[in-house]
Amino acid sequence: MVTAREEILERLERARPPAAARPAAMPEPSMPIDPMATLRDRLQDAGGSLQFATRSGWTEQIQWPVEATTLRHVYSSLNAMPGRGVGLSSKTNHDLADLDVCVLAAEFVVIENAAAWQRPGCLRERAAALLATHLIVVANATEIVATMHQAYARIAPSDASFGWFLCGPSKTADIEQSLVLGAHGPRTMSLILLSD
Amino acid sequence: MGHRERAREFVADVDRTRWHDQALWFVRSKRDQAADLVPDWEALRDQASAIKRSALTELPELWREFEEHATAAGTVVHWARDAHEHNEIVAGLLRDRSVRHVVKSKSMLTEECGLNSYLEAEGIEVIDTDLGERIVQLRGEPPSHIVMPAIHLQRAEIGELFAKEMGSAPDLDDPTELTDVARRDLRDRFLKAEAGLTGINFAIAETGGFVVVTNEGNADLGTALPGLHIASVGLEKIIPQQKDLAPFLRLLARSATGQAITTYTSHFRGPRPRSTQELHVVIVDNGRSQLLGRPAFREALGCIRCGACLNTCPVYRRSGGHSYSATIPGPIGSVLETSRDPATHAELPHACSLCGSCTDVCPVRIPLHHQLLAWRGELALSGHHPAWRRFSLNLVAWLFVRPTMYRLLGRFARGIGRRLPPTLREDLLPAWTRQRHLPTIPKSSFRELYRERQRQPKRPRPQAQPRPRHERNG
Repeated sequence: MVTAREEILERLERARPPAAARPAAMPEPSMPIDPMATLRDRLQDAGGSLQFATRSGWTEQIQWPVEATTLRHVYSSLNAMPGRGVGLSSKTNHDLADLDVCVLAAEFVVIENAAAWQRPGCLRERAAALLATHLIVVANATEIVATMHQAYARIAPSDASFGWFLCGPSKTADIEQSLVLGAHGPRTMSLILLSD
Repeated sequence: MGHRERAREFVADVDRTRWHDQALWFVRSKRDQAADLVPDWEALRDQASAIKRSALTELPELWREFEEHATAAGTVVHWARDAHEHNEIVAGLLRDRSVRHVVKSKSMLTEECGLNSYLEAEGIEVIDTDLGERIVQLRGEPPSHIVMPAIHLQRAEIGELFAKEMGSAPDLDDPTELTDVARRDLRDRFLKAEAGLTGINFAIAETGGFVVVTNEGNADLGTALPGLHIASVGLEKIIPQQKDLAPFLRLLARSATGQAITTYTSHFRGPRPRSTQELHVVIVDNGRSQLLGRPAFREALGCIRCGACLNTCPVYRRSGGHSYSATIPGPIGSVLETSRDPATHAELPHACSLCGSCTDVCPVRIPLHHQLLAWRGELALSGHHPAWRRFSLNLVAWLFVRPTMYRLLGRFARGIGRRLPPTLREDLLPAWTRQRHLPTIPKSSFRELYRERQRQPKRPRPQAQPRPRHERNG
């Protein structure tokens, strides 16, 4: 019996259009004159906020979405901000539903759309980033690229089993086109850029 | 009942038609603003179109490459000839693992396959998790738009629905509060689900991985928590290399909603190592290979499902998605659905004024209005037109090769037309033209005007002066 796989490949072979070459790469767009202004605008469009801080002591410098001392459940992948509450003690990812904040380290940020490239270290980290009420993404201010073209030049095709671009809090406009922040995931998102 | 009849019902509510029209035009203008911020926008469209066109010529190689790399990464790859095979594969995977609760993120392919009702018949609970899809699921309706499934509904109707289904206050109509009601209801279902189903926006041959984009994070929550992730993908969704994602991701969200990028752009490549998580990909044909074999229409396979052609289409905006009675409405739907089933959808290529706006906004440059025109020709030749359309087209064809008769009838029609009340004239046209007035019918034809002009003494021609560029805008 012919398998579905063989039959589909055979159908595609029969219907194959005449050869068309793959296009040459596009010229790479350049960095805007004021990258940080573009980044701030794009992140604002997406419902997020941009903050700057220094590497040492950024946890005291930034404005937290809620009073930092009231945060009971924190998941963090950064040493500067130790995790606490269910983020540390729970056995299943489902307990992370109570998380107040998730703090993640991004590898770089794309200026044209304010997307931060992040690879969760484990499935738990991915769940935390989605279940927490507030998301904080931290990156080095020097790790920026102009557009998605330069972004993919930095991501090796064989990198990791999962990676994502994150931009702003989860959102929806499915009810009469009204933008609502906090659809299923975080209600707020802050991008923190660190410098020395 | 065809598109004309359903559109007539839709436009009977004048206020709602205007509201629907403006809601979509608002999205279209956001698309324009976003595109204007990208200096190389047209080059991006060229690039995306060229990548898709070349990918369509090497689909067997690309899918073999995808399968090899996906398998190496621990993904299980399945192949389905048609909708039934797809549904059976998914149902089988769920059955074998005794899954009772499934959360699903938006996938037009699973809509096309009728997966939800198939699984429900097996006693499996399927929850659509995209807010708009959840709303239409609770109402027992199909989505009316491919990106904004509940765009046809007003807040009060959604408030009423949530009061009935989720026990919220009956007079609730604030979008933020309504979203919050759904968030709480769906959060529990995410936590309870044993499997997550998603579509695929882009499959990448080079890595055996794929990309799923959402704003709500529902595809991510639905796959981060349960131990089983099944992703369904149509044959046309493959691109050769990871770097090819750049032009598509720059175009997709901007074209769809005017966002520079969606909140989540997730790259999956195999299940998490050293975990019990399973990842399955189901590759589906369901008529796509057939469309590939039709040179006049194959470029429609390049569609990235942004919905820009729906938002800009004057017919879609004024007749609503449900009047198409097809999984995918609007210009791209009229091409794809007619290709899949010409007998059922033969009227859809006529739900079009050939204005060409869809072709102008398409991020991958599908010549949509040319394809719709080509479909009309095909349908006429293959006898799919209803008798009244066959009759009128034959009449016109007969008339166009008889100049004397044409002139005579023209004069007759002008005489009658000028005397008929305008409302009666307009009642003869399809319902989506209700918002439009016909131009005044002139007394004489072009030919008559020209002859008259020739009889008059020659006047000197005014010299054409090219205007400087800056004046044209002012």
